[in-house]
Amino acid sequence: MTDYVLQAEDVAIHYGGVKAVDGVALTLEKGQIRGLIGPNGAGKSTVIDAITGRRKLTRGRVVLRGEDVSEMGVVERRMRGLSRSFQRTSIFGQMLVGKQVELASHKMGVQDSYADAKAVLEELDLWPLANVEAQELGYGEQRRLDLALALVGRPSVLLLDEPMAGLSVKESLDLAQHLKRLTSSWDVSVLLVEHDMDVVFGISDVVTVFELGRVISSGEPAVVRADPRVREAYLGSAA
Amino acid sequence: MTMNRSLLASALALLLGVGVVSVVSSGTVLSLFTQAIVYAVFALGIGVLLKQNGMVSFGHALYFGSAGYLLGILLQLQVASAETIIVWTLLIITVVGFVFGLIIVRVPGVAFGMLTLAIGQMFYLTASRARGFTGGADGMNIDWPSTLFGFPVSQILKPGAMFLICWTTLVVVMFLVAWLLRSRFGAITEAVRDNEERARFIGISTLLPRALVYALSALITSISGVLSALNTGFVSPENLHWSLSGMTLMMVVVGGFKVLWGPALGAVVYFIFKDILGDYASHWMTIFGVVLIAVIVFSPTGIAGALMSWISGKPAADQPTARGH
Repeated sequence: MTDYVLQAEDVAIHYGGVKAVDGVALTLEKGQIRGLIGPNGAGKSTVIDAITGRRKLTRGRVVLRGEDVSEMGVVERRMRGLSRSFQRTSIFGQMLVGKQVELASHKMGVQDSYADAKAVLEELDLWPLANVEAQELGYGEQRRLDLALALVGRPSVLLLDEPMAGLSVKESLDLAQHLKRLTSSWDVSVLLVEHDMDVVFGISDVVTVFELGRVISSGEPAVVRADPRVREAYLGSAA
Repeated sequence: MTMNRSLLASALALLLGVGVVSVVSSGTVLSLFTQAIVYAVFALGIGVLLKQNGMVSFGHALYFGSAGYLLGILLQLQVASAETIIVWTLLIITVVGFVFGLIIVRVPGVAFGMLTLAIGQMFYLTASRARGFTGGADGMNIDWPSTLFGFPVSQILKPGAMFLICWTTLVVVMFLVAWLLRSRFGAITEAVRDNEERARFIGISTLLPRALVYALSALITSISGVLSALNTGFVSPENLHWSLSGMTLMMVVVGGFKVLWGPALGAVVYFIFKDILGDYASHWMTIFGVVLIAVIVFSPTGIAGALMSWISGKPAADQPTARGH
């Protein structure tokens, strides 16, 4: 039996009669990257919100390392190792880079928060910028800082909502390499919502395709890419 | 600035105060300095709220005036020694500030400013009409005892001594606030100010730190209220009026609030303008208004921000924005 780090079972988020997400099932194994793709409005970000507790489930449950966390709040889930980044860069603009990552680490209950922050910043090549105000960083560096804030306390699951948005090709490739490295060296499992198909199909172990709040295809990247339903609904002839 | 440097700067500032008293013999000039310093402490209170919470208060005169009234009433009732009453006054206002803070810091942007204005004016009108307690529109005298903290009040009220008391209070308060804001508490409040949602997501309660900063700013403002009551021996509804809050806010904007000494510098600049220009022009506020506009347009980080960027050679960073989201 596969030992899943994260299981989302029959997850549904309904707003009145609108079914933003309906009956979605997802799993993540240790160190696995699952790409989550689909057209705008397909429900990808809503699924991340549902898993992290930002939105209340209409139906279904979320299991993190064998524990049902469906009724827990955002912070409780984060303390248990379920972390996320936001679609828009979400950092503390006027704080020093090192100070904010150290603070985040401290709030996660890490004993040596300085060492944890240093390790995270070094992993993301941000340590030389530790004494710079976040608002003075370039956009790519801010995206990495956003990721750093999500990585403190060594979460077991990382949900990333379009982390490459607005990055140059080189910055996207750099970040993708960082992610791939993190999964092996830090044993982090990643659920990656991203529109950059080269990145998603390049680094994901499995890919799930959403349409209108439901999963229409899931599997290894090559299989998903060849799926006629996916080509019709999302990838089109360009894929 | 590291704590050692803050300590050194504070020690030098205290020496400077002693130097001023030694050099300046005019009681009028020392009284003018004292008045400026009382408002520097007041401005520091508003500045801390703006710096750490990104919130603009139009009603902080509430804490300035209430400190005077509370002192005056309790001294009149002779419920305890004057020293104890001073401590009670500061504690009561801090607690009241915290309770108000818990309610009003939830309200963002302009609405917060209007709420502070409304609460402040409510107390202003109450003080104006409660003649039995407050002396109504005529105000009330503060009945200080003959000695305070072991010193004769007549000696304390001499311009040189009063200046030193107020100056030392300003320096010590500024040092303590700097120390507090360098602690984890300071980092938490900055995080909440910068990005509330992210702060929540990393496990920071966003209400309590903001309420505590509000209480801290009320405490600092009430200290200035106590100093004013000591300096003038009088308190009136004008000490609670919103225009006083507005005037002090102007000092904060002119001085800048990104560094702690900015609001204090703004208060000094304000009083220099008031006294120098006031001799030549009855409408000196018009000229100060032009200065205010010039500072906002050309140096949004205030005079202190401009000085800091000039010293460091780096362009002034944007100031924390008022919570408008």
